[in-house]
Amino acid sequence: MSTKTTNLLTDMKMPFCPGCGYHLSTRVLARAIEKAGIHPLDVVVVSDIGCCGLIDGLLRAHTVHGLHGRAAALAFGIAHGLADASKKVIAIQGDGGATIGLQHLLEAARRNVDMTLLVHNNMVYGMTGGQVSGLSPEPVKDRKMPDEKDIPPFDVVELARAAGAAYSGRIIERGDYTDVLVEAIQTPGFSLLEIVGPCPAHGIGKIKDIAGMALQDVTYRSDREPHVAPRRETHSLFSQLRSVKVDFQANLQGRFSLIVAGSAGEGVQSAADLLANAGVASGLHATKKGDYPVTVGTGFSIAEVILSSEEIHHTGIEQPDMAIIVSEDGLSMMKNRLTDTRILLDAALSWPDAPGSVASLPFRKTAGGKGAALCAIAHWLRQENLLPVEALQQAAAQHKLADRFLGIIEKAKTLAGS
Amino acid sequence: MSELSSRRVLTDASRLIIEAAVRAGANVFVGYPITPANWLYHYATQRFPTTLPATDEITTLQWMAGFATAGKFPVTATSFPGFALMVESVNMAYMMELPMLIVLVQRLGPSTGSATTGAQGDLLLLRGVISGGYPLPVFSPSNFEDCWELTGRAVAASLQMRTPVVLLTSKEMVMTSRSFDLSRLPDIQQAAWPEYRSANGYLPYRAKPAEPPPFLPVGNRQHQVRINASTHDASGLIRKATPEALANTRRLQEKIEAGMQKHMLFDYHAAPGSDTLLVTYGVTAEAARDAIRRLREHGRAISLLVVKTLLPFPPEALAILRRYARVLIAEENLSGLLRELIYGQMTPASVLGVNKIGKLISPEDIVAGYEKLSSMPSNPNSEAQGGKRS
Ligand code: SF4
Ligand SMILES: [Mg+2]
Repeated sequence: MSTKTTNLLTDMKMPFCPGCGYHLSTRVLARAIEKAGIHPLDVVVVSDIGCCGLIDGLLRAHTVHGLHGRAAALAFGIAHGLADASKKVIAIQGDGGATIGLQHLLEAARRNVDMTLLVHNNMVYGMTGGQVSGLSPEPVKDRKMPDEKDIPPFDVVELARAAGAAYSGRIIERGDYTDVLVEAIQTPGFSLLEIVGPCPAHGIGKIKDIAGMALQDVTYRSDREPHVAPRRETHSLFSQLRSVKVDFQANLQGRFSLIVAGSAGEGVQSAADLLANAGVASGLHATKKGDYPVTVGTGFSIAEVILSSEEIHHTGIEQPDMAIIVSEDGLSMMKNRLTDTRILLDAALSWPDAPGSVASLPFRKTAGGKGAALCAIAHWLRQENLLPVEALQQAAAQHKLADRFLGIIEKAKTLAGS
Repeated sequence: MSELSSRRVLTDASRLIIEAAVRAGANVFVGYPITPANWLYHYATQRFPTTLPATDEITTLQWMAGFATAGKFPVTATSFPGFALMVESVNMAYMMELPMLIVLVQRLGPSTGSATTGAQGDLLLLRGVISGGYPLPVFSPSNFEDCWELTGRAVAASLQMRTPVVLLTSKEMVMTSRSFDLSRLPDIQQAAWPEYRSANGYLPYRAKPAEPPPFLPVGNRQHQVRINASTHDASGLIRKATPEALANTRRLQEKIEAGMQKHMLFDYHAAPGSDTLLVTYGVTAEAARDAIRRLREHGRAISLLVVKTLLPFPPEALAILRRYARVLIAEENLSGLLRELIYGQMTPASVLGVNKIGKLISPEDIVAGYEKLSSMPSNPNSEAQGGKRS
């Protein structure tokens, strides 16, 4: 193939039925590309499933032939991937494809990506037997599927316009509409052109009142700037991670597992994170994970922390060595879970038949609901010194909420035994 | 690694996966919210040069395929409910021969199941997901180091073979934080497409036997590129089942079989004198490591096989399995998907599954499985029993 030709068409015989509008529309597309002075290899045609998808072999352009209904989304990816205004990405689909992929069409319009979508509305799914589509006008449905006749068709031109397309128009396929197509292709941003021409093979063109289908030539233009996908300079995700130096010494041989159970939004996860950090700063290995319901802002919040003098593989906790429970939400979750463990329970909670030993202390009263979990951890460290409370303070000091956290750790001192 | 160069941090594996993908050459992330893959999406917005929020799962894969035809390497992260909706488009990308990485974070099913509970329930879905049974490469990280290395490997393999690749993991892997020394991570080389360099005529699907075709992006000024999801010939034009088109389709299978030979990854620790092999993958491997150690402390020798390339399944791993009189297979599902992948419907009596849902399999579960298996008959045909390799 010569790289100088401006002729979009190969010499392949057109595969469409006699009298099909695709003969004309294919030629108009070629004329439009030639008239606009676009090199065929600057054109990427993305074709849908359906008769219109048979166009690939007729073109000297790049061609991408995908799935039924998805041409607009596939072309969207190509347009963003190329990000080159000199390349013309043209998706071609039928009314059936536009129905299936209506979401893709709207999204391409909303983002105003620089591409053109040609919707060939021949009023039925032609290739599969002439079934009605979301764009079939009422008279067509009256004939093909009378039960559907009162359901109005989608107006994809209005939809694309409402979604934000730079260009949105319809052309009833009578004569030469090359200039219309040139404008659609040359418009920066998303262009949708609905090309209406009934499928003769399924007898649509014979319907007498086709003229009364309320389908008219129309053009909408907007001067919205096309959306260009960002290409950002980014940095290693590791640069956000603070290296933890071993400044402290832990008093732990083997593994210690802890569950902190409280309510969402009350600092349970951040308290557990601080403890894990303090563990690492004390020379231990640590793991931490959270468990919460699908509602992030309400309900329980459970954190599991494992500290160990040896490398940790399995991160599950069957029964923890200790559980800290600081709210009703946390308590109700732990009732199903704990069978024999030490429990630090907030004094406002009651669990008469708790399994294992319970120590009850006013964490919420001392540090508020949002400080209770960290308060309990600080109290416990001061009591038992599994690792120095100073390690927790250092971890807190490096947090963006340092002042608050340090204050909570300080308040924990006032608890009996601290 | 010297103390000086150590870099101890607390991190989760989502961060490792995203960083590794970008270092390996991935440059576009198409995301949409789905638990438990959200952290991957979150990190991607900070790390990928381009991140786009798709409206839905089908759009995600279609945009990714579009980016790939333009020469980008796209990544997404999802879970079963999302992946199920992507299936037709994954087949499209497979047929078009477009590279991309799908991180499939398993969660408890069926259906939407439990979004914040881990699972290992999707292996056989992946085995059959390409219509016709064509192999889709699947890697499964068994720890944090794997999350790094296998992600880099997956991107490279995907580009090398021009195929979608799945990184199969679990909520319990990507949403757990650990103390971790970043200086343990090896460098990841940036991977590239098998590019077309000749000045002669280009046919987009003309390839050497059992290889992918060299790549040119659509939109280039030198050669016409045709990409096609339907059965097609070397020029990329749709063809009904002609001999040339069928040969092209057969090549899809052959290129994966050949290309994956250098990516057959597993860890094998043979315990001297052991006639029992523990087989596992993914997050359950962590429990297996603890269980093995516990059993050894009690004087029980048991070998461990952690499979990291799940699909195609490594033939060498099968050869190892044949050496053992007893095999224990631990995986977080009820029916034993890996067991079925290996043995089909004819699991020998000498093979026992350790299975569970709703919670990580624990070392205790595995130890209990081992005790039970020890009391069961061993396989008289295994090489350990003097049998022959079949
Ligand atoms: S079936 Fe209809 S749309 Fe398809 S080629 Fe024939 S006339 Fe054209
Ligand atoms: Mg149609």
